[in-house]
Amino acid sequence: MKRRRTPITFLRIAIAVVGLGTASLLYGFPLYWLVVTSLKSKAELFSSTVHLLPHNPTLAAYSSVLIDRGFWVLLKNSVIVCLSTVVVTLVLGLIITYPITRLQVPVRLRVNILTWALSLRFLPPIAVVIPYFAIVRTLQIYDQPIALIGIYSLFNLPFAIWMLKGFLAEIPLELEEAALVDGANRWTAFWRVLLPLAAPGVMAAGIIIFTFAWSEFLFALILTATPNSQTFPVGVQGLVTQFEIIWNDMAASGVIAMALPLTLMVIGRKYIVAGLTFGVIREK
Amino acid sequence: MSRLVVEPPTPTAPQPVRVGRRRRSRQERLAYLILLPALGTVFVIVTIPFILVLMQSISADDGTLVGLRNFSRALGNPLLYDALRATGVYTLIVLPTEILLGLTFALLVHRTVRRSGVRAAVYVLAIVPLVVPPVAIGVVARLIYAPSYGVLNVILERLGLLHQEINWLGNPTLAMLSVASVDVWQWTPFVYLVLFSGLQTVPRESVEAAQLDGATWWTQFLYIEFSYLRPLFLLILFFRLADVLRVFDHIFILTGGGPGTTTQLLSLYMYRIEFKFFDSGQAAALAVIVLVSISILYALITRVLPLERE
Repeated sequence: MKRRRTPITFLRIAIAVVGLGTASLLYGFPLYWLVVTSLKSKAELFSSTVHLLPHNPTLAAYSSVLIDRGFWVLLKNSVIVCLSTVVVTLVLGLIITYPITRLQVPVRLRVNILTWALSLRFLPPIAVVIPYFAIVRTLQIYDQPIALIGIYSLFNLPFAIWMLKGFLAEIPLELEEAALVDGANRWTAFWRVLLPLAAPGVMAAGIIIFTFAWSEFLFALILTATPNSQTFPVGVQGLVTQFEIIWNDMAASGVIAMALPLTLMVIGRKYIVAGLTFGVIREK
Repeated sequence: MSRLVVEPPTPTAPQPVRVGRRRRSRQERLAYLILLPALGTVFVIVTIPFILVLMQSISADDGTLVGLRNFSRALGNPLLYDALRATGVYTLIVLPTEILLGLTFALLVHRTVRRSGVRAAVYVLAIVPLVVPPVAIGVVARLIYAPSYGVLNVILERLGLLHQEINWLGNPTLAMLSVASVDVWQWTPFVYLVLFSGLQTVPRESVEAAQLDGATWWTQFLYIEFSYLRPLFLLILFFRLADVLRVFDHIFILTGGGPGTTTQLLSLYMYRIEFKFFDSGQAAALAVIVLVSISILYALITRVLPLERE
């Protein structure tokens, strides 16, 4: 169909431009300002005029945050905690979703497991952090990464179950059955046939779990005390709530906290919405 | 390409084919063999805290049973009602604003943007706020609203709209609006993405038929598109309500619940009772109350939710 430039078309384009422009400004400026502030020097923080454009940009704040304040340790903790969480959650998720998607089980069992998993999504962490705090103290794993890994895995499990269920159910049963007929056992059929086929989905789930765990703050705030296990968001919070805020350091820590999730998002972007809605909205 | 479809899963579709009764029971046994240890462990890990918090709620710090005294203290604390009010106000600001803005923007893009490249770009940009840690967003908000350094005042002054600095985080009303604006900023894209994907499922024929019959953009929305979006509104309500009840990070960073207790939502209040006042009896009682209320709310909401159920 040929495009006609009628007044209506112009009106349509004008509305689109105004709408998209306003949105980009509202979303672009705060992020722009974060980056610009992080590039400021200490001296510029105290100058009376605020420059809206970058003015003698420097990376001093980044080295101040990562090296002088020793935040690279927190970054390392975050990576360790998040990667472990991803592995534990995916393994548990696969153990639970494999039987309910690939084996002949009563529908009731499937539905009950899925409903139960969903109900965990509605649980406010603050209501359970109180008993978990007590448990973690009793087990003497307070201020240890393992405490966070355990709790993050638990809280991401519902999401993992729902996402993996969707991915596993899409793979035709015949492929696995063919392997079984050829004499493979269930484990080989799972490991050699199913898992490679489900790999993109499993990886996407992993990326999203990583992002969620990376953002988590409340549990990390309560269950850690020292750089031994503190994650990066806890460090960021420390820069914000201290008596005198060093604005460029604070901004730099914000940029660092965003960098990894945004990078991962480039890979996992197709699955983010599916993840956030437990697979109800899917991308085709 | 980044085109979304709505696909409410059905419980019957991926069921394996039945191959005789014996095979089925063997598969079922295998399923239970795999499921029991895993689910059992998770169940125990989830349940122990509930039992613990229940016990904590009826005992004093030294472990002696005090009956319902913790509950009466928790319910008699006037700060609880401030927290509930703040949570209610926050929810009433945030949810309608996000749904309205998200819907407007979804309709705007759906009606006016034809190029798939632009749509894909909007999709990617809309995801950005969703994956950014709330703590980092709190930092951004702080840079914008903070007294004496916030850039919002600077911009308003440069534009000549303002002659005296506004203390965004110091005035109770403005502080609540500032905190809510951060939530709206972060989660409107979520509403947009869900509703936009919903609009893609509206059959082209029915829209064209309506347009031939002279439907305006408003009647087209009201009588055709809205019916396709209805289940998605419920979905959004479910997820956003669950999130509002756990809001903590960005408020903790931005105002810490202040000024006074005006932005101290329920999670911040509970945090304060347990970890600032060290009143674990009262905190446990609050946790039990919240858990029970949430369970009731959850049961009510899932009844109408378009998710996989029997």
